[in-house]
Amino acid sequence: MRHSVLTNDKEVGTPELRILLIDDDQLRANSLTSALNNSRYKVIHLASPDMALLKQVDDIKPDIIVIDIESPSRDILDSLSTISDYNPKPVVMFSAQEDTNTINQSIASGVSAYVVGDLEPERVKPILDAAVARFREYQKIKTELSDTKQQLASRNTIDQAKRLLMKKKNLSEDEAFKTMRKTAMDTGQKLDDVAKTLISLLDNF
Amino acid sequence: MITPEQTKLTLGFIPLTDSAPLIVAKNMGFFEQWGLDVKLQKQNSWSTLRDKLHAGLLDAAQMLAPMPLASSLGLRCTPTKVITPLVLSLNGNAITLSEKLHQEVLKDNGISEVTLPLAAYLLQKVISVRKQQNRPKLKFGTVFPYSCHYYQLKDWLASANITELDVDIMVVPPVNMVGFLESGEIDGCCVGGPWNAKAVRAGIGLTALTSFDIWQDSPEKVLGLLESWQRNNPTTVLALTAALKQACNWLESIPNRFEAARLLSAEQYLDASTDVIAPSLIGSCLTHANLPPRAIPSYNQFSKANNGSINVPEYIRGEWLLSQMQKAGQLAGIKVPNDLVKNVFRPDIYQQMRLHLEDIS
Repeated sequence: MRHSVLTNDKEVGTPELRILLIDDDQLRANSLTSALNNSRYKVIHLASPDMALLKQVDDIKPDIIVIDIESPSRDILDSLSTISDYNPKPVVMFSAQEDTNTINQSIASGVSAYVVGDLEPERVKPILDAAVARFREYQKIKTELSDTKQQLASRNTIDQAKRLLMKKKNLSEDEAFKTMRKTAMDTGQKLDDVAKTLISLLDNF
Repeated sequence: MITPEQTKLTLGFIPLTDSAPLIVAKNMGFFEQWGLDVKLQKQNSWSTLRDKLHAGLLDAAQMLAPMPLASSLGLRCTPTKVITPLVLSLNGNAITLSEKLHQEVLKDNGISEVTLPLAAYLLQKVISVRKQQNRPKLKFGTVFPYSCHYYQLKDWLASANITELDVDIMVVPPVNMVGFLESGEIDGCCVGGPWNAKAVRAGIGLTALTSFDIWQDSPEKVLGLLESWQRNNPTTVLALTAALKQACNWLESIPNRFEAARLLSAEQYLDASTDVIAPSLIGSCLTHANLPPRAIPSYNQFSKANNGSINVPEYIRGEWLLSQMQKAGQLAGIKVPNDLVKNVFRPDIYQQMRLHLEDIS
């Protein structure tokens, strides 16, 4: 059986992404909004700087923030990363006046922000696509990095527990490891949790 | 006289009362005297000013005193060697409470008027009453994470054992500060002029104390530029520093200060009335619509304090700023090189400039 496919070039299956646009220029905002009609992007325009940006970010929960590099609100956005429970967002800054490549180089590599030229409607979608992709890549690397750190930390814990066991219980390295593994299997705990418990127990004696 | 390598310069500034040295140097012809053709470019945010300086779009800029250290350490930016050969000003900030918070302070403490400078412990009652009534925490605005404003606000609150667990502190650009106070988005702020005076004149706030009441004579704004630019243009940097030092000296006289207020009020600079710019420059702290101003002779210092020059970027000043950053927890996990301050604060350039300045005077 065949279904007729009614969809057009809209990105089927890709969830809608909400853009918070911070820009004083109403005309530019309008043209951006219409340029992104029929795409996965939905523009919510905020004429800076009269409204409380943080509250807006909180309420709107944008997936991406687009801001004029000349907007005073940039300092608010810049400080967002210090707020611990703030979920990082990709930020695209645009500049109608400056050489954006040079500014780009000066912005922290890997930071979720980058600078593009003026928001020309025909160019804007690929720019946003690239920003989202780059941000996800960056987040992925960050997660991998923290996973790696986590793994290293638990390997250290396991090593430390093993050495303690060898010393205090007079076991060989292999025996110590097997003891820990058995405990983990018997109790259904992770190896590094067992190690942590062992360290806190054995260290007290 | 000296011959600068680069004569056309673009300097960045944020429209604030203490950007006076740059605006005076431009308008009184000091830059010209040193063979410089300077364009002053108004900036709307400290982050963008920093990025443009790092990118070389600005040759030099008026910066918050901790910023060159933050740039060199790469705090929330790519590590970039920024130096300062000149301190531009001391003091200049103040803490203003919204009228609503002012009323809460009076009511919760059962007093009919406040004594200024306001003691932070008067906020303790407000904080606990709000907690009892399940109302939101007090929110304070400050201009940038790496700013004396932030450290001064923290210090003042800490004098009454109030920490960021008890109140929220957020970054608000100076230009939005008064609006945020009025709308209730924030309950108080630490900001430079003319914004405190603006809030008072508009009847929406009480300037509780100035930064001089918290820290005496601490560096507030400095001239920042890239180390690499200085290496390629050492004479330009001397000329620039000399012209700005002359402007700072010019600002020493109170009659000149009023003239400076008039210059600053122009649209391309602060775009504000002398009514709000002049007071701090002539040593007056506006406090409240119904209260008299306070005399704070050192509100804005550009040249002399305690008979010494304030403009020398002494290491001790850098060390002190670094210790404030440390105290605020901003250096956690950051490796601070031992020679950081010596690489950023450059009294050697200042001393060289002094020799040239003496030549012409």
